[in-house]
Amino acid sequence: MERSEQKEESWEPKILAFLCNWCSYAGADLAGVSRLQYPHNIRVIRIPCSGRMNPAFIVAALRNGIDGVLVSGCHPGDCHYLSGNYFARRKFTVFKSLLEYMGIEEGRVHFSWVSAAEGEKFAQVVREVTEKVKALGPARNYVKERIEVC
Amino acid sequence: MNAKILPKANVSGFLGDLRNKGYEIWGPVEVDGAVDIMPLDGNASPVTEYWNSRVSPKAMVFPQSERMFVFSVDRSRPDAFILKEVEEPRIGRLAFAIRPCDARAFGILDKVFLVQGAWKDPYYARKRESMVVMALGCNSPCSTCFCHWTGGGPFSREGVDVMMTDLGGGFLLEPVTDKGKELLAGIDLSGASPSNVEEAKRLQDAATTAMEEPLDPSGIRKRPLLEMFGDSYWERAHEACIKCGTCTYLCPTCSCFDIQDEVRGPCGIRGRNWDTCMFPLTTLHASGHNPRPTGKERFRQRFMHKLRYFLDDFGTIMCVGCGRCVQFCPVNIDIREIIRELRG
Amino acid sequence: MEKIAEQIRKEASRLLDSEEVEVVVGFKKGTIPMVNRPWFARTPEEAKEFHWDGFCNLNLVNYLTKRKGKVAVVAKGCDSRSLVLHFQEHQVTKDQVVILGVPCHGMLDRRKLQRAAGRKEILDVTEKDGSVVLRGKELELVLPREEALQHCCTICEHRNPVIADIVLAPEVEERKTDRFSDIADIEAKEAHERWNFFRRILSTCIRCYACRNACPHCYCPECFVDCSRPQWVGKSQDPDDVFTFHLFRAFHMAGRCTDCGSCERACPMGIPVRLLTRKLEKEIRERWGYEVGLSLEGIPPLATYRPDDPQDFIM
Repeated sequence: MERSEQKEESWEPKILAFLCNWCSYAGADLAGVSRLQYPHNIRVIRIPCSGRMNPAFIVAALRNGIDGVLVSGCHPGDCHYLSGNYFARRKFTVFKSLLEYMGIEEGRVHFSWVSAAEGEKFAQVVREVTEKVKALGPARNYVKERIEVC
Repeated sequence: MNAKILPKANVSGFLGDLRNKGYEIWGPVEVDGAVDIMPLDGNASPVTEYWNSRVSPKAMVFPQSERMFVFSVDRSRPDAFILKEVEEPRIGRLAFAIRPCDARAFGILDKVFLVQGAWKDPYYARKRESMVVMALGCNSPCSTCFCHWTGGGPFSREGVDVMMTDLGGGFLLEPVTDKGKELLAGIDLSGASPSNVEEAKRLQDAATTAMEEPLDPSGIRKRPLLEMFGDSYWERAHEACIKCGTCTYLCPTCSCFDIQDEVRGPCGIRGRNWDTCMFPLTTLHASGHNPRPTGKERFRQRFMHKLRYFLDDFGTIMCVGCGRCVQFCPVNIDIREIIRELRG
Repeated sequence: MEKIAEQIRKEASRLLDSEEVEVVVGFKKGTIPMVNRPWFARTPEEAKEFHWDGFCNLNLVNYLTKRKGKVAVVAKGCDSRSLVLHFQEHQVTKDQVVILGVPCHGMLDRRKLQRAAGRKEILDVTEKDGSVVLRGKELELVLPREEALQHCCTICEHRNPVIADIVLAPEVEERKTDRFSDIADIEAKEAHERWNFFRRILSTCIRCYACRNACPHCYCPECFVDCSRPQWVGKSQDPDDVFTFHLFRAFHMAGRCTDCGSCERACPMGIPVRLLTRKLEKEIRERWGYEVGLSLEGIPPLATYRPDDPQDFIM
């Protein structure tokens, strides 16, 4: 994934959103179909369930130059696979606290529950996440060292 | 040339002079109460009263991670994926106050990386060729030192350009090789007095006699190879070993490495990193077969390589008796026991 | 200590003699001071070599992973909790194992002792009457035992085995300790201070994986560091890769670490990796009130859920 050279003032964060297929992805789709406006900074990756989310994806994202990550799934009780989001919730709790403890700034990694009917909520979540990540500035600490000349 | 004296108070000045001559100096530095051999910039002052470093100074010629080539992953370029050598400036490295066992170890690594008349590892060679070694002899060897089993000793001069002896207020510097003579000739130091030389000799003899009776490992060659390999001894010997890389990474003579490519943006690198026979991945074939499937085979490999195969090939065991593996192994695997057992 | 050693030898001999087990896992005296070697006795004769002292730090349950046949193991409090976890995770079954429980007063930290002795080599360590006596060339030093304990032992709340078939010593009084104030101190720092702090303490890591290999609960057939497709963690000494290894390993220990301290004991560079694992222990206790390995009926917290789990951080 290439970073284009940009001046700091016009810097826009790149945010990766892992959305569960059955709820959050559908919710994002609804936002689109409803022509709801939300910041263009997010790139969506569809996963079958928030329980499929591997913390290593978050780390890989940060290491490859992503400034913020959002993981979103179905509301507890509504998981298409019954309990995936319950396990995800526990996993996220632990991983988020560990990441922040080790020095990744609070506000880079976010989690949400967005249902297939919540187009407006999705747009709102994206607005909030983008705002928070933008306020933190580019994620520089953990980025894999790039070699530009070869 | 005669020996010189380097007063302890003048060590920084001495190193400064060497730095001005273009040497990159590595020496023992205290890190959170432990000692490691590291490049000394002008600010870090070396410790000279220490037993031995944790990681050996082999990183001077064989770093843990080293970039060999770069390549472009941009397919639109005509040179995409063509490996290009990484330029490395030729810097003369000087090892200051390392131990004689570690100095000998470079000679063993030479047998692996600089195969006479056949092939030289260029990455190793370009660091090794210009290296100068100032070794600090051991006035009080540790109880885990067994350098004298392996042909070395607390004041062994093998692989050493200048032998240092700690006389208390200063070091006696004795040139051993032409390189050593040349080094000392270029520095303004006062000559050693006959009593300095006598004192050094006394300390050297005392250190050597203080060590326990050595064991000669050359008898390990006597048994037929396959019999030693197939011995049921290995079944029990390996049990406690947790197959980590502590012994191999701290060892001054271990030299296994793994080469790997990593893409980093528009360019990638091909680099090598230390590897260890103790990890299963080392011998894992692309087919999925692993000729050393369990810890027993890997444990046996480590000691057969060090104590038998290398001995057969080069006439010396691949060990300088520094004792690091004995001190740091979390489960107390003791190579001295294994030497005794294999010798019979 | 010697009484415990005698008991271990006696029980081991009996178990091997009656063929109740095929092997007894304990410690034999190390060839150098301040370390002991895990010993696998298979006959009553071999059982005579069992030894016990303040340097029996390592978690012997590490050798029980996927073991076949009947085995007896010497287990301190922390080890016994690891064994419970092993049973829960089906790494070994309860009917395979005879547990020789040893109530523990804490194990000694060889690095602390060496620091106390300064530059003098320790050639002999004797423990008696609450003191540790260090002897060497021109060295004779007596330290109170509490000053020489491994850190994990100073804050241990389960010094008695939670499960045992035979208990080999009198019970030790349990106490509540302050397990997390140093973690709280780190939490109180700013993000960039924490980042720098962990980069600094991990800077001496040589990726030997002694921490991983000494841990009973690191038993994946393929460790994530060896996965090349995709490669989650690079193999080089890139500080970000070293950081990632420790981040992921700590995460794998969430809700599974019994704080036996084997990782820190095994590390040749003295890296305080438990600052990571104990953070997770704190989270798990605070969020879900769970402590690892206390009862066979427990379920590791990341392998289960409650519909009403806390979710204050979720938008």
